[in-house]
Amino acid sequence: MTAIARRDRRFGLVMSAPGLLALMLVVLFPVFFTLWTSVSDFTLLKPSNDAFVGLAHYANAFDSAEFLHTLTVTLSFVLAVVALEFLIGFAAALALDKVEHGKTFYYVVLLFPLLMNPVVVGLIWKMFLHPTLGIVNYVLSLVGLGPVDWLGTPDNAFMTVVLVDIWHQVSFMVVLLLAGLAALPKEPYEAARLEGAGTIRCFFWLTLPLMRPVIVVTLLIRLIFAVKTYDLIYIMTRGGPGQATDLVSYFIYRQAFVGLDISQASAMAVILLLAVLFLTAWLHRYMRSLAQ
Amino acid sequence: MKKLLLATSMLIASSFAADAQTINILMEGVPDTNYVQQMLPEFKEKTGIDVQLEVVNYAEMHTKLVPQLVAPEGSYDVIIVDFYWVGEFAKAGWLQPLDERLAADGIDTSRYIPSIMNLTGTVDGQTLMLPFYNYAMGLTYRTDLLEDPKHQEAFKAKYGRDLKVPTEWQEYLDQVKYFSEDAGIEGFTGVVNQGQRPDPIAMEWSNYLFARGGRYYDEATWQPTLATPEGIQALEDYRDNIQKYGPIGAANFSFDDAFNVAAQGKAYSYLTFNMFRPVYDDPASSQVVGKMEIAPVPGGGLNGSWGWAIPNSSPDPEAAWEFIKFIESPEIAKKRAALGGAATQAAVFEDQELIDKYTYYPQLKELLESSHNFPVFTYTPQFVEVLGRELSLAVTDGKDPKEALETVDREFAELLKKDGKLQ
Repeated sequence: MTAIARRDRRFGLVMSAPGLLALMLVVLFPVFFTLWTSVSDFTLLKPSNDAFVGLAHYANAFDSAEFLHTLTVTLSFVLAVVALEFLIGFAAALALDKVEHGKTFYYVVLLFPLLMNPVVVGLIWKMFLHPTLGIVNYVLSLVGLGPVDWLGTPDNAFMTVVLVDIWHQVSFMVVLLLAGLAALPKEPYEAARLEGAGTIRCFFWLTLPLMRPVIVVTLLIRLIFAVKTYDLIYIMTRGGPGQATDLVSYFIYRQAFVGLDISQASAMAVILLLAVLFLTAWLHRYMRSLAQ
Repeated sequence: MKKLLLATSMLIASSFAADAQTINILMEGVPDTNYVQQMLPEFKEKTGIDVQLEVVNYAEMHTKLVPQLVAPEGSYDVIIVDFYWVGEFAKAGWLQPLDERLAADGIDTSRYIPSIMNLTGTVDGQTLMLPFYNYAMGLTYRTDLLEDPKHQEAFKAKYGRDLKVPTEWQEYLDQVKYFSEDAGIEGFTGVVNQGQRPDPIAMEWSNYLFARGGRYYDEATWQPTLATPEGIQALEDYRDNIQKYGPIGAANFSFDDAFNVAAQGKAYSYLTFNMFRPVYDDPASSQVVGKMEIAPVPGGGLNGSWGWAIPNSSPDPEAAWEFIKFIESPEIAKKRAALGGAATQAAVFEDQELIDKYTYYPQLKELLESSHNFPVFTYTPQFVEVLGRELSLAVTDGKDPKEALETVDREFAELLKKDGKLQ
């Protein structure tokens, strides 16, 4: 390495050091602090990190039927919302991709739910879906349908929460997939048309393979956000009726701020973090293997 | 330039020093907070102390309070404490005892209704709070239907007793059944319940438990006593009211969902917090103005209240005490009640001027005196979580009532042991 290159390198390190330091403080420190808290005995009734308890809180978490239950509910919820939002979102993106006029208008309409705070979404839907006073059952009654108990039975409540989440989040899928579609090269399609391929063939042989990287990223981001769903549950069902909508993020929140047991909550949060990391890595590899 | 800067900073510093004394209080956005707010100019005039109220939602209060209470010096001079948190705050040692201050100022706490002073006043013989407002639960019911000769006749023919304000639990359950099944009013039910987890269902069901003669625990030993015939019967009553005699969706109703059903004239009765009684008479939010009244729950309902306290982390305890003394003085307590506040001092309920204005005051006093307390210990909030979960499972057929209450007893006992209450 020449003297100039060495100097450049040193200069680069000096320039990036403050940024790296800030990143460490903001990202790494909380993660390591959570890890440390999860192996010590820290409750808000006795706020000190002095007693090391090893993996006791992790053992408690796996012993807790309620925690394991919230994990399974969360898994069903995530699978349902990610799959349905992807299917609806992709269909909408394909349709919008062909639109020539008024694209901005559609964008605005689509983005509207996404711009709303989840708490507001939960509140308005809770009002709309009130079984005796809400507008949805009123409209159903006009066409002769009986009232639906949207949130009052375990099965209905789960489906209702999934539907409201789809209403709120599907435009995220649409926007990302639409951006991907708009960036696809035109030439392969022209060549395929010349060879006599129809719309369906073009979709399966060109659009899907070309879109794969965008699809992977979209699914990953949505999946990670879906695991963290908390606000909708807090506003609409508080995890009920029964335990039908008790998602793990809401459960961990209760451990920390109702139980004041920050260590136990941290251990559960670390388990969740590892699960999401594992899921993400697996999905990423699976999608890459498909591409090859 | 330097001189100018110095002069400016001195000016700013002096203006801060000359600033009036200010105390900060975190409060919940409820009607009683508004009445406190209206008293603040008078307090400022008397003492020269400014009061800043930070008003938030109930759900945010605990999360905001705890970090401030843990800190050596927090930002709140006075706090209000829900009976829910009393055990926890007392155990953590976050509140200053008030006994010496009370004695020095000659304040006698016997002016408070005893059940409320017990709930949000004294803990283990020490006075940590002064009661602020009560939210004991009562039975609200439709007077117009109760007085309707047509219903009186039909009810008597079917159930063999008079249709009147219920004083026995079975009598009330018969009325619920009658108005759901026999009264023939379209889209109308005998009861509306607040079945949402965790506190709406836990608080409401407590009334059913007390009405059936059940109790949460044995007073002498703290041994949980929910999975008893009384407890199981109470849960079956509750499940029937939600599943058979209430509107659909009640298993997930929060108190405002349920209140709206009653206030829109779609239910005969609703067991709710007594502070909602005046709201039935507000035409802006009610279709049943002048048609709803409140009575004690047969067997005694659930008590509830908030207390004023000075945290150890209070930056200015002296000013804080001045404020509590002022806001809880008999004169101001009456003024707050006159505005619609939910009083805690016995004299307020005996004040003729107020009785003329609020004709239900005698029933309200009886209701407060006969109500029972929820278990108060360090882990009350977690206990409410457990209770709410199991009750909700039972009313949605996820668990048999007996099995659900056995689980509650088991987890309740674990929490009590952790707290050292149960051996």
